[in-house]
Amino acid sequence: MNIADQRKGSLLVAVVNEKRIDAARSTAFKSYVDDKVGKGDRRIIVDLTLVQFVDSSGLGALVFGLKRVGSDGLFALVGLSPSVMRLFSMTRMDRVFRLYPTVEEAVAVNSAS
Amino acid sequence: MGGSIKLSVDSDLDLVVLVANAVRGVCLELASEETVDAIERAVVEAVNNVIKHGYGNDHGHNVDISLQVASDRIVVDIDDQAPPMPRSQLRKAAAHRFDFDAANAGEIPESGMGLAIIRMSMDKVEYRSRPDGNRLRMTKNIPLKDGR
Repeated sequence: MNIADQRKGSLLVAVVNEKRIDAARSTAFKSYVDDKVGKGDRRIIVDLTLVQFVDSSGLGALVFGLKRVGSDGLFALVGLSPSVMRLFSMTRMDRVFRLYPTVEEAVAVNSAS
Repeated sequence: MGGSIKLSVDSDLDLVVLVANAVRGVCLELASEETVDAIERAVVEAVNNVIKHGYGNDHGHNVDISLQVASDRIVVDIDDQAPPMPRSQLRKAAAHRFDFDAANAGEIPESGMGLAIIRMSMDKVEYRSRPDGNRLRMTKNIPLKDGR
């Protein structure tokens, strides 16, 4: 799975360079998050701007990330497409994640905290 | 307008994207982006379900997808020869409401959402299992586009 990341202060910005997070890719996404958290990154912003489709396995992988960083960590999502947003609304995951339109906004809001 | 299209794919999760793109391409001619999203979502969940739970991620089995198009609806059949879905799983999906407590991380589901997403994305979902195979039939009503 193609994920490029860069550090912004205490935040890790992970850009998912894939069109889909689905059953074929969810395990790789979970491994990526697990590895990062295992190495100490617990404030992660995931940029989903390029992602056009998420299925229930992909959604489960994102929930895994949220749980993996823990209650005092951060697992924010950026740039949800209309299709992905509809899935989040349907499954009420829009109440679960911190969602931002852009990486800049997510970084600005969470840099101080 | 009417007709049908049939696809067959090997039981490999890496190939589900091909089904998704084909279904999306057909449906975009007929329905709104939102409706197409719902159909793609349901088809992907259904095919994933057959591959993961029916065939246990074992490659080399066929999953057959058939789209029947009418003026007011799209009907998608997913056919397989895997062991049938347990009735308890279908009942659980029918009752799923995603009414978890968002403040309680332990309650947020990580799995078991596929069938519920299918049910919520489509207007009618039927499942039958016979000795010659299983069929999940999913129907989406579509508003008539101008000129149809």
